[in-house]
Amino acid sequence: MTGAVAVSLAAAILLAAPFLPPAALRALGGLFLAAPLFVLAPDRRLGALAAALLAAAAARWLPLRVLRRLTWLLPSLVLLVFVTTGLMYLAPGNPFANERVASPQVEAALRAQYGVPRSAVEFFGVYTRRLVLEGSLGPSLKVQGRGVADLLGPAIPVSLGLGLLALGLAVGAGLALGVAAALRPRSWLDHAAMGIALLGISLPNFVIGAGLMVLFALELGWLPVAGFAGPRHLVLPALTLAAPYAAYVARLARAGMLEVLQQDFVRTARAKGLSERAVIQNHALRGALLPVISFLAPAAAGILTGSFVVETLFGIPGMGQWFVKGAINRDYSLVLGTALFYAALVAALNLLADLLYAWLDPRVRETR
Amino acid sequence: MSAGAGPFAEALARLRRDPGALAGAALLAAIAAACAFGPWLLGQDPLATAPALRHQPPSAAHWFGTDALGRDLLARVLVGGRTSLAVGLAATAVSVGIGTLYGAVAGLYGGRIDELLMRVVDFLYGVPYMFLVILIMLLFADTARGEPLPVFVALGLVQWLTMARIVRGQVLSLREREFVLAARVAGAGDARILLRHLLPNALGPVVVYATLTVPAVILLESFLSFLGLGVALSWGELVAEGVSVVNPVRSYWWLLAFPSGFLAATLLALNFLGDGLRDALDPRSTP
Amino acid sequence: MSRTLAALAGVLLGIFGAAALALRGSVPAPAELRFVNGSEPRTLDPALMTGSPEGRIADALFEGLTVRDPRTLRPVPGVARSWEMSEDGLRYVFRLRPEARWSNGRPVTAHDFVYAWRRLQEPALGSEYAYILHGLRHAEALNAHAAAADALAGPVREALEALRRETPGGVPAERWQRFAAEQRLGERLAGADDAFAAGLLARRSGSVAARELEALGAALGRAAGRLRASAAQAREHFGVDEGVFATDDHTLVVELRAPTPYFLELTAFYPTYPVPREAAPAAAAADWFLPGKLVSNGPFQLAEWRVGERIRLERSESYWGRAGIRLASVDALPIENATTALNLYLAGAADWLPSPAYPADLVDDLRRRPDFYAGPGMVVYYYRFNCARPPFDDPRVREAFALAVDREAIVRDVLRLGQIPADRVVPPGLPGYAPPDTALRFDPERARALLARAGYGPGRPFPEVGILYNTAESHKQIAEVVADQLRRQLGVEARAYNQEWQAYQASVLAGEYDLARAGWIGDYLDPNTFLDLWVSGGGNNQTGWGDPRYDGWIRAAGDVARFAAAPGPLLEGLREPDAMGELLAEARRGRDAGARAAALGRVRMQLFREAEALLVQEAFPILPLHFYVVSGLVAPRVGGFYAELEGEGGARLPNLQDLHPLRGMWIRR
Repeated sequence: MTGAVAVSLAAAILLAAPFLPPAALRALGGLFLAAPLFVLAPDRRLGALAAALLAAAAARWLPLRVLRRLTWLLPSLVLLVFVTTGLMYLAPGNPFANERVASPQVEAALRAQYGVPRSAVEFFGVYTRRLVLEGSLGPSLKVQGRGVADLLGPAIPVSLGLGLLALGLAVGAGLALGVAAALRPRSWLDHAAMGIALLGISLPNFVIGAGLMVLFALELGWLPVAGFAGPRHLVLPALTLAAPYAAYVARLARAGMLEVLQQDFVRTARAKGLSERAVIQNHALRGALLPVISFLAPAAAGILTGSFVVETLFGIPGMGQWFVKGAINRDYSLVLGTALFYAALVAALNLLADLLYAWLDPRVRETR
Repeated sequence: MSAGAGPFAEALARLRRDPGALAGAALLAAIAAACAFGPWLLGQDPLATAPALRHQPPSAAHWFGTDALGRDLLARVLVGGRTSLAVGLAATAVSVGIGTLYGAVAGLYGGRIDELLMRVVDFLYGVPYMFLVILIMLLFADTARGEPLPVFVALGLVQWLTMARIVRGQVLSLREREFVLAARVAGAGDARILLRHLLPNALGPVVVYATLTVPAVILLESFLSFLGLGVALSWGELVAEGVSVVNPVRSYWWLLAFPSGFLAATLLALNFLGDGLRDALDPRSTP
Repeated sequence: MSRTLAALAGVLLGIFGAAALALRGSVPAPAELRFVNGSEPRTLDPALMTGSPEGRIADALFEGLTVRDPRTLRPVPGVARSWEMSEDGLRYVFRLRPEARWSNGRPVTAHDFVYAWRRLQEPALGSEYAYILHGLRHAEALNAHAAAADALAGPVREALEALRRETPGGVPAERWQRFAAEQRLGERLAGADDAFAAGLLARRSGSVAARELEALGAALGRAAGRLRASAAQAREHFGVDEGVFATDDHTLVVELRAPTPYFLELTAFYPTYPVPREAAPAAAAADWFLPGKLVSNGPFQLAEWRVGERIRLERSESYWGRAGIRLASVDALPIENATTALNLYLAGAADWLPSPAYPADLVDDLRRRPDFYAGPGMVVYYYRFNCARPPFDDPRVREAFALAVDREAIVRDVLRLGQIPADRVVPPGLPGYAPPDTALRFDPERARALLARAGYGPGRPFPEVGILYNTAESHKQIAEVVADQLRRQLGVEARAYNQEWQAYQASVLAGEYDLARAGWIGDYLDPNTFLDLWVSGGGNNQTGWGDPRYDGWIRAAGDVARFAAAPGPLLEGLREPDAMGELLAEARRGRDAGARAAALGRVRMQLFREAEALLVQEAFPILPLHFYVVSGLVAPRVGGFYAELEGEGGARLPNLQDLHPLRGMWIRR
């Protein structure tokens, strides 16, 4: 029952979003921003109070564009959970099919114990209720005695750390490469940089990773081959994850910067005698930065999914292994846990990128 | 004279002058031909194990060496290529099909329908799509063995969003042109207008994007087969096998080098070709 | 500074800062000893585990009545500081040491053992190793009789009725045997002592008349009654004053049904370890063994268990013998990939790589290293057939498959460490046991003929079968080679596929496989450990195969004196009846207890021989491939590691069971 209601509500909000008046957007946006605070707060009443305050503040001060995105956020998470649940129930096999107990009574007992009814919608309801009311991700259906949070807990910082490292490298190196290329268009530097970028985009990241592993870990012996026992173990994985995105960033930055450099007002500024440096800093760099920032969010999403492969390749104990294991073993709660985490992360990054973009580009400040 | 004959000829001429695109096309053709006919011509069985011939380096008998079970690597690379290329093409076809239809409908009818359809697209952009695709593959992996349909559909679903946007944009801008109005006056129905007038003129960007979709799909498929979830023997799986035996005691470089090389070459060729096509069809677009 | 640069700096700083924050605290400090443990343990409950990865941890966390001396692997005092055995070998009295403690400070008492052993037999717990203590009085009754009674009085009787209605003119013997196997009559009637039923079960030719079936129905009812009574008796007495019981806090008495030469070895084996009463409820609860909750009595405590990463053990301060434990901390790494494990070891991040944790291909390079060890192992590598469903429910098909595999080629080309191709089930090297003849050899022609006789051919093609193995490179290689051989010799499509350990175990338990790879290490030095696996419905059988004759012989071997006194229908179907007859006569003639006991020992070995003959000449429930050579890599800095054991008078013996207790190791500086 709860499940059906939740899904319908979510879908309704999503479809209605473009037609909602600003007041509704403010209300809903603030509400949805504050909701996770309420869910995660250890003390219910304190959490409710804090959430209410946050909601009011957000409704009052955040730009409409951001609020609109927030209005979408929660319903899309809800729908994501629902779709994922549906997929898992649709797939052949179920988590209890292989248990050693063959009798239907025991399967029913197991289902009751773990909270996994036979219908997807019911499970969805149970899951969301448990999540919102108890802040719990539920028990893992396959790893005995462990909650999903227990399993994901140590893995999240590792994946996050690795992903952020890769993101930072991608932005930093990519920008450097792209800007350098844009400053000397059609030079050998430009061609070389864009050539490297094309390679980075074309090669699958595990090929790059394997190459780096063979070169730096086996031949030269400078870095460890695999595993995670120290910061040195993250160098190769981070480089591998970052490579394709550094390439994208380089291309975007170069294109953006070139476009700005050709525009009228830049020529005017130059004519006025402003130093090259000022011109670059003030205008052209922004041209390079803006497309990169709007690419940040999809880049982060890509890095997250690319991390499955890189973590497998380098044996890093992160979230990737849980997602894969969970899906293979039909461990519904585990899969949903990882899905929620990824979706929330991507959404948060989208939000941050939006805010940053709005702050940087005055043209975007206007509400739509 | 129907609109659009001229620009195509121009585009083709520009393409012919682009060395990168030509090289890409040639390389692609060579690889495709090798994968299609090679195994049959060479007569090696990619499945036949011969434990005595395990891990042989490249030699006259086995040009690419053998793998952990004595199977000929050249045959496996070529047969794996069939899978990768076929998946790339089929999934792209799915993607183009769905995206084009969706975008065309949105562009043609406009108004509320367009807003609604594009709203859905915007929402879907925010979904961690790769995640869902991987999930679909993981869940159906057992039954997917030998059953390629879910794979094609799942992979195709990844790229149709951008295609829809592109087609919609094109249809929107073409909708008000004279030849369309003329056709309407002549009594043509929506479907006819779509098929005979709008789509052919929107073809340019669609082709470009399709050419860039193929490598994206092949890449995704190689990810999945690297993780062990592939539907049949493919390059990603071979690279995974090569990686899994990397150790400091003995080097089996051929297991890693050849499948990676083919995968990289194919993707590079496709990207070059796609870039070239994009330059040819729309020289103003930035690289 | 321009807004743009500020934004850029902010973004980069924010990203790297967040990364650093996230990673702080994620990096672990290494333990003193680190070893690769293969797969992730499913549970740390000693009563519920069945693999070496779990066993190694259990041996470190818990301590049984005896422990194995690392140098000789003989049982030496553990929690029990001394013991006495009665002259007839039926009664043991263990005196526990008063200084033995649980990790929460409570003393370890005899009552803890009684609790654990009773819990092991508790049907609700569903332990696969319950049978290991069925030599104790009342143990089997407690474990199996209630369920058997319910089955016999209920569904089995109904099925029998249905059979009778279907076949008013009598049941042909073949059909009758299939019915008996499906209904697990042999296993269920085992404790009921019904001669009539036993006779019927032994009928393999002719037919069973309708009135015999009717009489059997009544017999089943009576048997159910007797079984219920014995279960009730067991519940009343087992753990109280019979079977196993505590006469005071530190004295444990064990009563066996028959002399068991390997009983002391069992007390050093993990299903017999004590479990803490507060922490372990009677039925299987899933989390009492997690870090923070686990209460244990062994040399190490569970400090941390990060699934997918490591299990950390730390020296226990409450262990009575802590002065002798020289390792402060141990990390068990759950790495299934052989290459990864090897890379880890060669990089110095692991100190011990037990087999099969390295890639088999590199054996030729690795065997020359000084830190490499290898020796014969009492381990058999085999594939289970799923005998409960087609196509492997037909023994001709099973035999065909077993004959189509070229074991020599596998050992020679894939394994290359001098493994012995297995044409039987029990590995060589067991004292006193003479293995029977075997029908297993590489004979593809006969294999094809058998398949044809089973009805497969152009008109009826053989279905595709799957070869399931748990994820590991070596298993994959063997499976692929076997699949290829089957394809070439029989024209059969066999597809090798893998599942990770937990999923694989679940599949096998649920009967969801055609062929499944398995390995079995002898738990003690006696053929029984390899043969009692295949008893109908045995906890570790999992093939769906059963044969009342086989069950009868194995049971008889567990109580030879009784068998010798009244062999009855068990003599039917013997392949070497004369040999058995002579041995039995010898036993009866024995002049004193010693001579009789020795003769009975030989009868026992003959029973095992007959049982194995059934497996490898007629029934083929499994496809043995080879007997292990146990090998691995161990860093020179690890002390207390005995690749070879010390025997009498300084002799060097192979470490057949590949047991290397962590308690005996230390790190050299």
